[in-house]
Amino acid sequence: MNLKSHYDLVIIGGGPAGMAAAMGARQNGVGDILILEREDNMGGILQQCIHAGFGLHVFKEELTGPEYAHRYLQRVIENEIAILTHACVLDIVSQGTACHELYIAAPSVGLHTVQARAVILAMGCRERTRQAIHIPGSRPSGVFTAGCAQKMTNMMGVLPGKRIAILGSGDIGLIMARRLTLEGAEVVGVFELMPYSNGLTRNIVQCLDDYGIPLHLSTTVSHIYGDTRLTSIDVTPVDDSLKPISTQKRNIPCDTLLLSIGLIPETELAVKLGIALHPRTRGPIVNSRLETSVPGIFACGNVLHVHDLVDFVTKESLRAGHAAAQWLQNPSQCQDNINVIPGQNVGYCLPETVIRGAEHTISLRVTKPLYGATLKLGDILTKKLPIAIPSEMITFTISADKLEKFDGSQLTLDVIANG
Amino acid sequence: MSIKTPLTCVCCPFGCRLEVEHEGNTVITVSGNRCPRGAKYAAQELVDPRRSLTTTVAITGASIARLPVKTTAPVPKNRICQIARDIQQIRVQAPVSCGDVLCDAVDGDSGIQLVATRSFAAMSS
Repeated sequence: MNLKSHYDLVIIGGGPAGMAAAMGARQNGVGDILILEREDNMGGILQQCIHAGFGLHVFKEELTGPEYAHRYLQRVIENEIAILTHACVLDIVSQGTACHELYIAAPSVGLHTVQARAVILAMGCRERTRQAIHIPGSRPSGVFTAGCAQKMTNMMGVLPGKRIAILGSGDIGLIMARRLTLEGAEVVGVFELMPYSNGLTRNIVQCLDDYGIPLHLSTTVSHIYGDTRLTSIDVTPVDDSLKPISTQKRNIPCDTLLLSIGLIPETELAVKLGIALHPRTRGPIVNSRLETSVPGIFACGNVLHVHDLVDFVTKESLRAGHAAAQWLQNPSQCQDNINVIPGQNVGYCLPETVIRGAEHTISLRVTKPLYGATLKLGDILTKKLPIAIPSEMITFTISADKLEKFDGSQLTLDVIANG
Repeated sequence: MSIKTPLTCVCCPFGCRLEVEHEGNTVITVSGNRCPRGAKYAAQELVDPRRSLTTTVAITGASIARLPVKTTAPVPKNRICQIARDIQQIRVQAPVSCGDVLCDAVDGDSGIQLVATRSFAAMSS
């Protein structure tokens, strides 16, 4: 591949976010685009998500992760968008408006510097590890994050273990409970700190109930035992304030512990650039055109905030590509003039600023499960929500005319339980 | 004598909570579904519960060691582990294209096929 030294737009990450961002930019007139992908192949996390449930919104079909990636990659290739794989961006330095230098290491080109007028961050997210929750005990092998175990099983052909406990009942933990059972391992149980699972109910049924795998709510892992390899764990029920009731702990023999305890955006490059990060999402703070605090650098997908549905990643990333295209034609400063404040039951909303007279899409998560609720944006918009739960991101659109009539400088976003 | 059974539909991520009124295996009414697939799911679940199956098989000559695959239609729930074990025996050589049929019948005469869900070029060693 003939890597140039200048591009209009460089996209860091070749997963669903990066591919959609490239298409959003191409569809809005950007000719000179480069996607940089660290792995051997494009597709990002979708490569290891071999189960179905992707594409219901975007393709109106239920696809597996690899099929979704394949379809989107076909579009990128048909549009002749330049791609470089095995390429790691080691650093980015902003030299001024519309000039960002990326230092790249790739086997095919060695060390190479590329200048970009605009950059889109699409690097995805990382998993929280044992260290994040300080599980006491020894440090044997056999303790993996669920996503790592998924990659081992689904791409490397390595079974992580034979007798498996899983901490965390989010979708990744549930999916892996089924996956490992189908590959011949014994899954002794899924343990969840909260009094409810935040995975899809569909997954409780088809990943746990179908295989007789028990789900233990309000329970945590309080100790890890083993010398070179894990031999057992202590599991302990927790009280209403999530503190372990150590008198009730039980010891569970197992050789593998999977941790499905949360995802956080990949922020290494954002930190190097001095980009402002949001305390709740842990990703960059962005304005209404998904632009970070560094002008001309945009963010989308899991690097911005962790998503549950790849379809929403695609929609968000198309908007980021579109915004980058508009910025390249007219590198103007952001004109957002209304603040959107997270209110009742809203953990965060994104973006937190909008501009009068334009259409906007806002994403949010609620702080607790609500069955029958109403979303209110100040007095200008209401939306009925039959179900609002923290594990399902909510998005809504504000039409341009609704904001046109509003003449204040801030709007509060509430999700209020009905009745 | 009709009874009401709660079920969660697994057709899509909504996971509608259904209530199925039935006599034995005969459905009288289904409620709680947001779309017609839920009603079909409930009827199927009472008579012959099925699940779609996705897994991987060994592949040689490709950039990674496993090829993701899926069954073209749901398989009987009570045979899923046996079918998964049978699928584990399959070996594939790159190149392979997304959609290629790897096995004509994963469950006897069912006509349910196993297909690849990813493409791999053949890598020269």
